[in-house]
Formats: sequence, C-alpha cells, structure tokens
Amino acid sequence: MRVSQMFYLYRRLYVQQLKAILEYNKDFYILMCSAALTQVLGFVFLWVIYDRIPDINGWQFWEVTFMYAMIFVTEGIGSLFFEGTWRMSRLVNLGEMDRYLLRPVPVVLQVFCTGIGINGLGNLLIGGVIIGQSLVHGNVHWTPGKILIILLLLITAVIIRVAINLAANSAAFWIKNAGNAFPLMVHNLADLAKYPLSLFPQAVRVFVSTVLPYAFISFYPATYIFGKSGWSGWWMLAPVAALGSMAAAYGIFRFGLSRYESTGN
Amino acid sequence: MSAISLKKYRSIANRSLQNVLAYRTSYVIGFLANTVNLLAIYFLWQGIYSGRSDVAGYSWDQMKTYLLVTFLANSVLSWYSETSISGKILDGSVAMDLLKPLDFQSARFSETLGASLLEGGMSAVLLTLFASFLSGITLPHSPLVYVLFILSLICAILVKFGVVYLAALLCFWSTGSLGIVWTRIAVTNLLSGALVPLAFFPDWLERLALWLPFQSIIHTPTMIFLQQAGTAESLNLIALQAFWGLVLWFAGKAMWNWAVRQVTIHGG
Repeated sequence: MRVSQMFYLYRRLYVQQLKAILEYNKDFYILMCSAALTQVLGFVFLWVIYDRIPDINGWQFWEVTFMYAMIFVTEGIGSLFFEGTWRMSRLVNLGEMDRYLLRPVPVVLQVFCTGIGINGLGNLLIGGVIIGQSLVHGNVHWTPGKILIILLLLITAVIIRVAINLAANSAAFWIKNAGNAFPLMVHNLADLAKYPLSLFPQAVRVFVSTVLPYAFISFYPATYIFGKSGWSGWWMLAPVAALGSMAAAYGIFRFGLSRYESTGN
Repeated sequence: MSAISLKKYRSIANRSLQNVLAYRTSYVIGFLANTVNLLAIYFLWQGIYSGRSDVAGYSWDQMKTYLLVTFLANSVLSWYSETSISGKILDGSVAMDLLKPLDFQSARFSETLGASLLEGGMSAVLLTLFASFLSGITLPHSPLVYVLFILSLICAILVKFGVVYLAALLCFWSTGSLGIVWTRIAVTNLLSGALVPLAFFPDWLERLALWLPFQSIIHTPTMIFLQQAGTAESLNLIALQAFWGLVLWFAGKAMWNWAVRQVTIHGG
C-alpha cells in the first residue's frame, strides 16, 4: 500500500473518531483541562524545589523543565493521534480484532485509529508553552543547523514514544485479562526520564537508554540543546533508537497478531 | 450502628479483600509501578541533597523517612477504590445499589477498607525491606508516637475517602471518569504534601494548603512520624483530621442525596 493512501485512510478513520468525541463535549473539556492541570502542577513541583536550591547535579531549572515537558508533549501526541494502542486489550479480549483482520487495510493503522485521547491537546498546549519558555530562558546557542537537529530530535522522540506504547500494549495478546496494568507500568517508567539521567545508578541509565529508550526523548536531546559536556555526541544515536524501537514494536505487534485467536461467543 | 448492620458492612469489606486477591496480577503490576515511582523520586531527592545538608529545614535522613511514610500513606488507599466507585456510577450498576438495604456511602467505605488492608499490609512489607537497605532512616523510639501515627493514618484514610468519594460522585454529571480522577490526583498530590513537603512551598501557598483538607492525608501523618509535632500538638492535628473527615463525610452524604435525584441510567 502506498504511503499517500495510508495517510488518506488514516485521515478518514481519524475524522470519524473525532465526530464521536465531539458528541460528548463536556467530557472533551474536562479531559483537556485535567491533562493541562496535571502538567501545570508538575511544573509547580519543580518550581517549588528550584525556589530553594539553584541546581540539581549541575542542571538548571529550565533545563529540567524542558525534559519534563518533552515527556508530556510526546505523551500528548501519542494520545491525540495514536490513542488506539491503549484500546488493544479491549480489541483482543472482546474479539473485535476480527473485524480489523477482514479489512484490506493494515491492521496497525486501524488500531491507531480506534480512539482519540483528547487530553493530548491539553498536554500539547501546556507542554509546548513550557518547551518554548525553556528554550528562551535556557542557555542555548542558536544556529540554523541546531534548529533542524532539534526538529529531528522532536520527531524521533515521538516515534520512540509511540513505538514503546505499541509494544507494551501488544502484551494484550499474551496477558488474557482486561485492563492495562502492564502497559501502564511501562508508561510510568517514563518518569525516570523526566529528570537528569546522571541522578540514577548505572543500571537505570542503561535501561532507559536501551531496553526502553525513554532517555532519547528527553535527556539526550537536552544534553545537546543545552550543550552539556560529558554527554556530547550521545544524542546522535536518537535516530538509531527511533528506528530500532519502531522495528521492534512492529515485530512484537505482528508476532502477537499471529498468535491472536478470536474469542468464542 | 447495631451489630447486625455492622456485620453486613464487614462482609462487604471481606468481599472486596477477596476481589483484590483474585485479580492479583494487575494488583502486583500496579504495585511494581508504584515502586518504580518511589525509586525515581528517591534518586531525584538524593540529587537535590547532594552537597547540601539541609533544605527547607529537612535533613536528608528526615527526607528519606518522609518519602517512605508518604509512600505508605499513599498506597493504603489507591486507584482500586477510586475507579470502582465511579465505575458503578458510569455503567449504571448504581441502580442495583439503590435497591439494596445498604447505605451506599458506608458500603463503599467498607469496600475501600477491605482493599486498603491488603494494600497497606503489602506496602508495609515492601517499606521494611526498602528501609533495611537504607541507612539513616530516623525511626521514632517512643511507642506513643507509633500509636499517634496509626491513629492519624486511620483519620487520613477517612479524609482521603471523603475526597475520592466526592470526586467519584461528580461522575453523575459526566460521561467519563478519567479527567476527574486525574484532576483529583494532581490536586491531592500537590496540596497534601505527597510530592514535596509543605514547608518547601512559598509562604502563601503553604498557608493555603494548611487551610484545605488535603494536608490531612500526607502532611499530618509525616509530621507525627518525624516528631515535628509534640504530643499535645499531634492530638490537635489528629482532631483536625477527624474534623475534616466528618465534614467530607457529610458533604458526601448531602451530595449523594442530591445526585441520586438527578440520575439517568442507561437501559440495558
């Protein structure tokens, strides 16, 4: 299937979901505001701490807020455009995946469009403001090349986040139990990447750089943007991490799908 | 309350305890996730304290103890009770509860206590393990402090239930619970002192937090455990917790009475 055709289908499926969401517009606002509020309060947490101390391990306030916001923004894009991954346990356990398998459209595309997390809009809004502020107030030496690289790092960050979500939610093919406990745990591990990696023991650093490469979403981009010596050059591995996690996630998803047996009722 | 009706509620608590045991995989995974959070926060604070002996009047040893007590107080009333109340309202099974000769609020409270018993026990075990690996945890020596601490923990459960219950009842007016749950968690975490001790706040925010009921959930138990309050002051604080617990309980009752008159239940 050609890429343009995929985009077309994605857009059509997405718009249908959007109509369903707008039907319940009270919920729409509550979710958006609560996501934004959660983020603002997380920001207040950092602000309260930095009000007392000048730096954590050599990291300034705006550098940490950047990492913090990167985790939230990628999560927001994940919910807004790829929320369907979180519905996978439902699709598998209720046998709704049957429907998807019958259509001549890539299954993963249909899974992505199973829902829209409108809360992502709140994340995106507040997170975007915080990232903007961090880049303005932080000590950044701007060059045209740097802007391009930052854009590239943003894209790889989103890819990594969505890939991890897809892989974690594919656990639904093995764990025959409604509920999202396992993917939620994987999701929560992103907390480790909200703060400078240098705070953690070696094992944790290796873990969030390889197995679950959350560090390439927030920490390594931050070391590049704010010119942290001691970590220079590591950010270049971000595209590798993105491609690797994308391939791994798709592999896990396909493997799980091959084991899928419908429910009988 | 008469002996018979107490027995009814006890069996509900028992049922909910067994429910947690039956779905233990999800529970264990959820528990692991909390542990990861605790570790992340622990290392963050370690970084904050590196090269500093004292931040906002807390030493690093006190801070470690603070984190552990917070973890305990937070895990005795968890996600489980939260989603089960709003779930009942959203899927309409609250209609069945309206028919039962039970007080909805007391029944939900017993359910929560049942689950809390297990969750609290598990976290106590984990914390003992964790604490034995850490040096410098400041444990109080006097048994009186422990008695006061347990008392205040019980009151904290009552207050937290009050907040959770009120938030869950809001689901009578919405179609989803997620947004309400997130808001409640974010506000409670900040204003109760679960993220950072209230003493770290700027003056105006600290004063505001102390005026609200949320501080009873985390701030008070930790103050008592860290012996930042004397015996008389501790008793005062516990009385304040009890006051908030009762206020929230009656507010919940009033809101329930009002809400059930507005209820629309989907036909099935």
